[in-house]
Amino acid sequence: MLDQKLTKKILNILLSSGGDFSEVFIQKRNLNNMRLDDGKIENSTSGFELGCGLRLINKDSTFYAYVDSIDNESLLNAAKILSSAVDSSSKNKVLDLTENKSPYDAKVEKYPSGMTQENKKILLDAANEKARNFSKYIIQVSANLSDADDTVFIANSNGLLINDSSVKVFLAVSIIAKKGNEVRTGYKSLAKTMGYEIFDLKNPEAVSLEASKIAIKMLDAVNAPAGSFPVVIGPAFGGVIFHEACGHGLEADAIIKDSSVFKDKLNKKIASSILTAVDDSTMPYHWGSYGFDSEGHPSQKNILIEKGILKNYIFDYKSACKMNMKQTGNGRRQSYRDLPVPRMSNTYIECGSDENDAIMSSVKNGIYAKEFAGGQVDTATGDFVFGISEGYLIKNGAIAEPIKGATLIGNGPDILNRIEAIGKDLDFAPGFCGKAGQSITNEVGQPTILVDKITVGGTEV
Amino acid sequence: MEKIIDFCKHAFLKIKSKNISEFEIYGSSSAHNEIEIFEEDIENLSFADTKGIGFRVFRDQRMGYAYTSNLSDFAIDSCIEKAIENSKVTNREEYNYLPLQTEFMHGGTAFNRDILYAPEFTDFSIEDKIKISKELELAAKKRDERIKGISNLIYEDTVSETVILNSLGLEDSYKASAAFLYISVISREGEDVSTGDYFGYERTPQKLDTEDIAETAVKRSISLLGAKKVKSQVADLMLNPMVSIQFLGIIASVIMADSVQKGKSLLAGRIGEKIFSQNFNIIDDGIMPDGLASRPFDGEGVPKGRTAVFEEGVLRTYLYNTYTARKDKRLSTGNASRSSYKGPPDIGISNFYIEPSDVPENKIMEKIDKGFYVMDIIGLHSGTNPVSGQISVGAKGIWIENGRLTYPVKEVTIATDILSFCKNLTEIGSNLKFMPAGGYIGSPSMHVRDIAISGS
Repeated sequence: MLDQKLTKKILNILLSSGGDFSEVFIQKRNLNNMRLDDGKIENSTSGFELGCGLRLINKDSTFYAYVDSIDNESLLNAAKILSSAVDSSSKNKVLDLTENKSPYDAKVEKYPSGMTQENKKILLDAANEKARNFSKYIIQVSANLSDADDTVFIANSNGLLINDSSVKVFLAVSIIAKKGNEVRTGYKSLAKTMGYEIFDLKNPEAVSLEASKIAIKMLDAVNAPAGSFPVVIGPAFGGVIFHEACGHGLEADAIIKDSSVFKDKLNKKIASSILTAVDDSTMPYHWGSYGFDSEGHPSQKNILIEKGILKNYIFDYKSACKMNMKQTGNGRRQSYRDLPVPRMSNTYIECGSDENDAIMSSVKNGIYAKEFAGGQVDTATGDFVFGISEGYLIKNGAIAEPIKGATLIGNGPDILNRIEAIGKDLDFAPGFCGKAGQSITNEVGQPTILVDKITVGGTEV
Repeated sequence: MEKIIDFCKHAFLKIKSKNISEFEIYGSSSAHNEIEIFEEDIENLSFADTKGIGFRVFRDQRMGYAYTSNLSDFAIDSCIEKAIENSKVTNREEYNYLPLQTEFMHGGTAFNRDILYAPEFTDFSIEDKIKISKELELAAKKRDERIKGISNLIYEDTVSETVILNSLGLEDSYKASAAFLYISVISREGEDVSTGDYFGYERTPQKLDTEDIAETAVKRSISLLGAKKVKSQVADLMLNPMVSIQFLGIIASVIMADSVQKGKSLLAGRIGEKIFSQNFNIIDDGIMPDGLASRPFDGEGVPKGRTAVFEEGVLRTYLYNTYTARKDKRLSTGNASRSSYKGPPDIGISNFYIEPSDVPENKIMEKIDKGFYVMDIIGLHSGTNPVSGQISVGAKGIWIENGRLTYPVKEVTIATDILSFCKNLTEIGSNLKFMPAGGYIGSPSMHVRDIAISGS
């Protein structure tokens, strides 16, 4: 997107007053979002984003500037301003740029540009109709369909140069069901790093049907109990428990700031010995996957916890340098307007050896948490929450009445040691993760697991 | 650099030339600074000048939208084409047209735009900004020896210019400034760890009070050292303003006319009903002089004003943009909101607050025999469902016995639903505090009776 000579010139200007590292990040992104609500296409929005972020690192300090443009003059000017913020004796030269290739191989078949808005409307209408026909109790359907076609160019003073592109498609369906005075909701999404061939895998009706079923089941929900209980956490989106209870605490920026309970725990036992957990950005087409991270490091598979032993943290370039460790391909950013920070990609718990039936029947009196509305963590204390959106009581080893939404609260290191059983039904679910004011695509995953005790935030004391 | 108004005017001529008769152009530009400090050094320093334009096109009462951050002629042309294409796919709606002057609820009183921008803002250099950020770190660290680290220290400021033009002849703009300073501190004592945070938010950085921010963040952290779970039980809650503000934010989400009209709000059809058991007044004031969300006009150019949403506990009105107002045969309250040029107007609050009483927090606490003084909550987004009304969030704070604060509590949840919360809210304090939370929300401490607490 930028010729090599100019790129090198910019990288050199950035280092002209000293510094250890300079980088050019250019991004061009076309986005579309169509929204169906109340039975109608309410909104159809498209966006054109183009810009460049320039980064200069001098010792522990990062200097960043971005411009909504890639014209030569703006870039050179921004580079000059940025370099003037530094006055360092550390003089470095820009190495010759060599283009890297990523092993990540995922082809796009149906690009968003080839998809008419009219065809997208058909997909949303189908989702709407499926839900409305499913039950007379469904009073509202909202559905969002969005796509992003993203091209990036990254070059840095270490000689790295990459060109990369990705396409993402996201569909979410929200259902409202009402019976008497009871109002309940259901939500389901489908999202992948691929083109519109995503709907050859699963059609919008299927997504809509799943969301509808949740809303209808929840109409009969009883109040959730309050207190500590054994909790069976369902596959796929259940993985949000690991994402919150542990994943964020393994991001190296938290380690460096001494704001993680997992600091100084490498190669130590931090979890139940049946737990192996992975962050893998290489899995083709997954929502959190990429060819290169936002610093141009190729995607890779990282074992975080192996049989309960902490094996690695999650690094970007700067944190890896600071801790004298290897980059893990997790330097991610929302756009050219943001600094890269260590972030998870697709994070999941590997399959265990327990049968689901055995897991369920081992619980006398507990909760089955099947779907979630997300979560949050304080990495310094390890205290985390995640909200159940579809849950049931477990009575004498069997799933019983559905329960109204409730938050589960626990402490990361404590919960990791309380994982008593892990099933074999590994599955994944897409979502968005917010950190440092940036929202990025993430996937979580796990098989069914059993945690022997978590506090359930219900109202029935 | 060309000004955003010039780009917008240029785009106006372009869109006119494409035979589009009804449209709106919304542009904004901003200069932005962000500083993060760690261990008395700059961790990150970023600056940017940014701009962008969004086009809203109406054709045959169908609306299409497109935006671009690239303001080259070619990009603007493609963007307009895309907006037109989008207008072909959306539904035809009889209420889809630009705002008319006869539809404004507010606008009778002149709004002094000068208050939005502090001229002294530019007197504060980047070095000054770094200096106060470093001062804040030191102030927090030296305040108590148990403060062992800073997990986050961020300074941010923006000077922005917002422009709106439409085919009915509207042309207006305003300039605003804001500076934000935030710290999150970590305290340790033995094996115990506790975090606490606080912020300052002003029109100009000179007004940021680093000592106050440091003191409050440190207090919020160390007062919860040694916290433990309590038994599950039903008890009274005393919500600190940092928490009550977030609960008021939940109430804000159910008064948007759009949610009401689509059956997504449990307050649908309840205008004139007493929702709160007590005589609380809740106001959305878009022109409050010291309100950081004050603006002369909303996201579609309608004048902002003061709207009493609840009066003496009775629901008086929902918040409207022109589209939803037409549906209900009402006037727009000037609540079309736009977080940026990247999307068409939605509905949102501005400065949204509950009018405080004259009773200090400690006088209210004296009346609580057994209760929980909640200082922070976690999981608000995942734990509340504004449609069903369910609320279940993680909480930490201090246990109240016989009207006094006793030991710290953590890893518990508090759960209720929106309507029960309104019914059980018995008294509010005099300590009105505002916080940016999807608007600029203000609340004093709240006393809520009989809430389920889940712990051990």
